[in-house]
Amino acid sequence: MPQYESFIGIDQWTVLFTLVNMIIVFVVLKKFLFKPVTKMIDDRQKEIDTMFQQAGDAKTQAEAMEAEYKQKLATAQQTGEQIVKEAVARGQSREEEILRQATKDAEAMRSKAAADIALEKKKAINDAKNEISGMAVAIAEKVVERQLRGADQDRMISQFIDQLGKQK
Amino acid sequence: MNVNGPQIYFTIPGIGITITQTAVSSFLVMLILCTVGILLGRNLQKRPTGPQVLTEKAVCALRQLVSDAMGAHNVHWTPYIGSLFLSSLLGSLIGMTGFFRSTTSDLSTTATWALMTSVLCWYHSIRNFGLGGWLKGFTDPIAIMTPMNVISELAQPVSLAFRHFGNVVGGSVITAMIYWALAGASTAILSLVGLGGVIGGIVLLALGVFLLFRRKTHPSKAMLVLAVVCLGVGVASVLDATGILPDIPILQVGLPAVLSLYFDLFSGLIQAFVFSLLSMIYISNACPAPEEVAA
Repeated sequence: MPQYESFIGIDQWTVLFTLVNMIIVFVVLKKFLFKPVTKMIDDRQKEIDTMFQQAGDAKTQAEAMEAEYKQKLATAQQTGEQIVKEAVARGQSREEEILRQATKDAEAMRSKAAADIALEKKKAINDAKNEISGMAVAIAEKVVERQLRGADQDRMISQFIDQLGKQK
Repeated sequence: MNVNGPQIYFTIPGIGITITQTAVSSFLVMLILCTVGILLGRNLQKRPTGPQVLTEKAVCALRQLVSDAMGAHNVHWTPYIGSLFLSSLLGSLIGMTGFFRSTTSDLSTTATWALMTSVLCWYHSIRNFGLGGWLKGFTDPIAIMTPMNVISELAQPVSLAFRHFGNVVGGSVITAMIYWALAGASTAILSLVGLGGVIGGIVLLALGVFLLFRRKTHPSKAMLVLAVVCLGVGVASVLDATGILPDIPILQVGLPAVLSLYFDLFSGLIQAFVFSLLSMIYISNACPAPEEVAA
């Protein structure tokens, strides 16, 4: 015949067991379930917060760097333009100088050439004069068959050639 | 019909420790909760998978509940409230196995939990307000209310204990009564059918078979139901009349399952929740926010 506790009653041993069991459940759940899970959740939250913070910082930094680079780029462009402009100006002045020099050189060369030509012409005329006079003397000697005196001969030839040049 | 308290399995002789159904269930609940708790709390990963997601969700929900009911400064009570809730819930549900008695259908259990909460309340009240402050609280709002306040303070654990115990045990009493009533009704119906004896049963069986065959030419759902009922009652009455299976409680199939869904599952959940919520409210009264104590 099984024995029963009273339907509505409190048994001291059941109370003790319940209390002990409850305390065990509390301690175990707190130590092995609630604490680690809560810690994990909090850690994760902290990590996420940190990551967001870092991402925000990185973004701010990147924006600052972008602005800086933009400025640097603009400066560099300006500098480049300046350099090119200067180079062009220098090149132009150099070109002008070279042109001027060349013109001068050419002028000098032309005048020198003209002088040379004039000298050569004079020389050639003198040579031709001498040759022609010689030839003329020879021809004349042959024609008139007579020997003229040195001075007269030369004077006459000069007169002849001058007349010849004027006629020309 | 008999409704008993928890059965005493045996008494340890000499010191007289009694091991009851409640004690066995209580140990089982403790073992299950500890095992599951340790298993779920192991190998937590930063990137949760599978059960850890649900565990974290549950712990978060509980923390949120405690934080809402008791204030953010009392969130460290979560493990205690969680243990109460889970012990109560599992203690009620373990009765559904049929092998173990619900721990919560024993007044010893609920009274222990209620007293634990009350003792914690008193301890924290004295610690937070001082002994004088706590005693002075009973004269609030006027001195004449003191006896009322003392009674209401003492009624707190009693009401907590009896509410939980009464709801669970009431459910099981109603279930037992319904079983008893259904058994009686089944016997009455079968004996009524049995009046016709074997002949009546055979006639009913024949009618059922006839209806089944007739259904082939005249299909109708009502006729199918009628045929099945005739066949069932016919078989039962033949068995009953021949004495092979006397008194089959045929009506006990079905209805108790629906009732169990309400009394065991739903009521168990609600009572665990109510018990935890009331505990939270009592404790939070004893542990107000630090700025409120100073005020």
